[in-house]
Amino acid sequence: MSFDIALILDSIPKMLMGIGLTLQLLFLSAALGLTLAIILLLMRISGRWYLAAPTMAYIYIFRGTPILVQIFIIYYGLPQLDFVRDSIFWPILREPFGCAILALTLNTGAYVSEILRGGVLGVDRGLKEAGAALGLSTTHRFIYITTPIAIRLALPAYSNDVISLMKSTALASTITLLDMTGIARTIVAETYAPYEIFMSLMVIYLILTWMIQRSFGWVERCMSRYVREEV
Amino acid sequence: MNDGNSDDIIHLENVNKFFGTFQALKNINLSVRKGERVVVCGPSGSGKSTLIRCINRLEEHNSGTITVNGHELTDDVKNIDAVRREVGMVFQDFNLFPHMTVVKNLMLAPKLVRKSSRSEAYETAMRYLERVKIPEQADKYPSQLSGGQQQRVAIARALCMNPVIMLFDEPTSALDPEMISEVLDVMTDLARDGMTMICVTHEMGFARSVADNVVFMDEGEIVEMNPPKEFFDNPRSERTRLFLSQVLSY
Amino acid sequence: MDALDGWWDDYFWGSVVVAEVFVVALILTILFGLMGAAAKLSGNRAAKAIAGGYTVVFRGTPEILVLLLIYFGSAITLTAIAQIFDPEIKFVDLPPFWAGSFAIALIVGSYATETFRGAFLGVAPGQVEAARALGLSKLQTFVHVRIPAMWRLALPPFGNHMLSLIKDTALIAIIGLEETLFVAAQAIGTTNKPFTMYIVVGVIYLAFSTVITLTVMVLEKYANRHLEIAR
Repeated sequence: MSFDIALILDSIPKMLMGIGLTLQLLFLSAALGLTLAIILLLMRISGRWYLAAPTMAYIYIFRGTPILVQIFIIYYGLPQLDFVRDSIFWPILREPFGCAILALTLNTGAYVSEILRGGVLGVDRGLKEAGAALGLSTTHRFIYITTPIAIRLALPAYSNDVISLMKSTALASTITLLDMTGIARTIVAETYAPYEIFMSLMVIYLILTWMIQRSFGWVERCMSRYVREEV
Repeated sequence: MNDGNSDDIIHLENVNKFFGTFQALKNINLSVRKGERVVVCGPSGSGKSTLIRCINRLEEHNSGTITVNGHELTDDVKNIDAVRREVGMVFQDFNLFPHMTVVKNLMLAPKLVRKSSRSEAYETAMRYLERVKIPEQADKYPSQLSGGQQQRVAIARALCMNPVIMLFDEPTSALDPEMISEVLDVMTDLARDGMTMICVTHEMGFARSVADNVVFMDEGEIVEMNPPKEFFDNPRSERTRLFLSQVLSY
Repeated sequence: MDALDGWWDDYFWGSVVVAEVFVVALILTILFGLMGAAAKLSGNRAAKAIAGGYTVVFRGTPEILVLLLIYFGSAITLTAIAQIFDPEIKFVDLPPFWAGSFAIALIVGSYATETFRGAFLGVAPGQVEAARALGLSKLQTFVHVRIPAMWRLALPPFGNHMLSLIKDTALIAIIGLEETLFVAAQAIGTTNKPFTMYIVVGVIYLAFSTVITLTVMVLEKYANRHLEIAR
């Protein structure tokens, strides 16, 4: 049992062929998930029970079940339903890529909407009162006071969720997609060298994680100019 | 609409306010004339903050009528908006918007509510910053200012809306002792200019020198209301006397 | 729902396996978390570096990769060792139960490391100083002041770690553990009802998550009982 350097050097370019797919999964579902999260958040804090209650149920279900199960229900499960096969979405849902995007979006949307809600709830009540006392309307208060402060408060948790999402994209390999993890699993099946292949892939993912953290760190610094440096 | 004296700019009649089962205000009657300076004092939990927060409807009263500058405060959003445009408020912990520079804090409401142009709003903002004597801090963020400076910015921010009434909710309670006088100076200055003011404060020196009337509240009631000389030298109620002996004992 | 006839037993035993993995992994998670936190807080530079590497690697790489690495890696190592004694042996592996529990505990343990470390540092120094000033020994201070204060701080995030653990058990089906997801796959083979079968898995996990959430709520109420009296 030896550590095969040549195999690693040979495999890394092969695995990197899948980075495009990994990043597509990440960016597409992050963007769609954030959109979904904002809609869910607005429904949740609307103060109307018929909007808030379904949102709470949605978040409860998607945070309470494994993402792998969600992926399987969507990819393997939905075709069992006739109305899904007859719908206009079938061309998307027939493809593993569409299913992976859908599952990741629905999942991250639930988490991110709770993160955003945490940000909104974290905004000092006194600031909203100050806005009210100045005569700002509810909408103006939400746009000019609550939102910018909430975004800054939510940013650290949001960056962690993007990293979680990046890690979840690896599960796309369980529904036949050849992202980096999918390619690695094929190589291991051929060469039977799990240490070399999986460990070098872990390094690649670590670099991605580090890059995500750095980018968010930069955004956070830009947004925190107004916070006094800790003495 | 307004039963009181025609000079009354604020008129409260039989106002009651509950938080759950706790009664924060009990049958409050209060009239404030235009240009009058009223200081409200009393032990903590006596309802004084609740009282002034009802005047711009940050709290809703449960019964009775509150009329401010001719608008009766009801659920009617139009009246609430009208009152809030005409009533400025200064809070205990400043509540400056931390993500905006000082001058942006001052420009926000004039631009959004009064629909002032950017340059108009900027001029107004700078004028009031000069009035509270910190124009040089215009481009700093609130967190870069001392507490006293922040509170002066907060006063300027309220003044930018050209209010006819100013409410102060313990404006000096969160300040370090050495910063209290710079804020009281600004407030005294404002009083000299004839602004109608209601001020919740423990600064008895300020009350004595500036107020036309001092209101003492305890357990949700107005116990006593008198001009300062009378109030301090000759308190009528036992509760007032006890309170004064406590705040003035050191 | 007729399709489910005859499968209830299998789902039940699959759920038992989920619960077993959860308990084993929970114990290991606490162990790894405490070891990691102790190492990070220790003055020892090497221990700090190892713990630092541990949290970076296991929080920054996909869960499925860690699981595959540990399962196939250990299999290859064990097979190599076994072949020293008996060249006829083709394949020896760690049972998926143990490899899987170990893997998910390693992952969640890396998060728990940060939680425990934060909780230790989060105890107000004044409390510890007060205890020492009253003449309590270091050990007494630790047992009577630090630990009660710590677990109150650690409980809410640790509740989330437990939810991650229960959801991560689903991944172990990928390496052949006969838990609910595995049961569903078998059932689909004979009934061809993937939607129904995977929904059942989802419901089972939702039930597990609910029980954990409620338990944590009760524990939190207990841990914060002193705050309620103050009202």
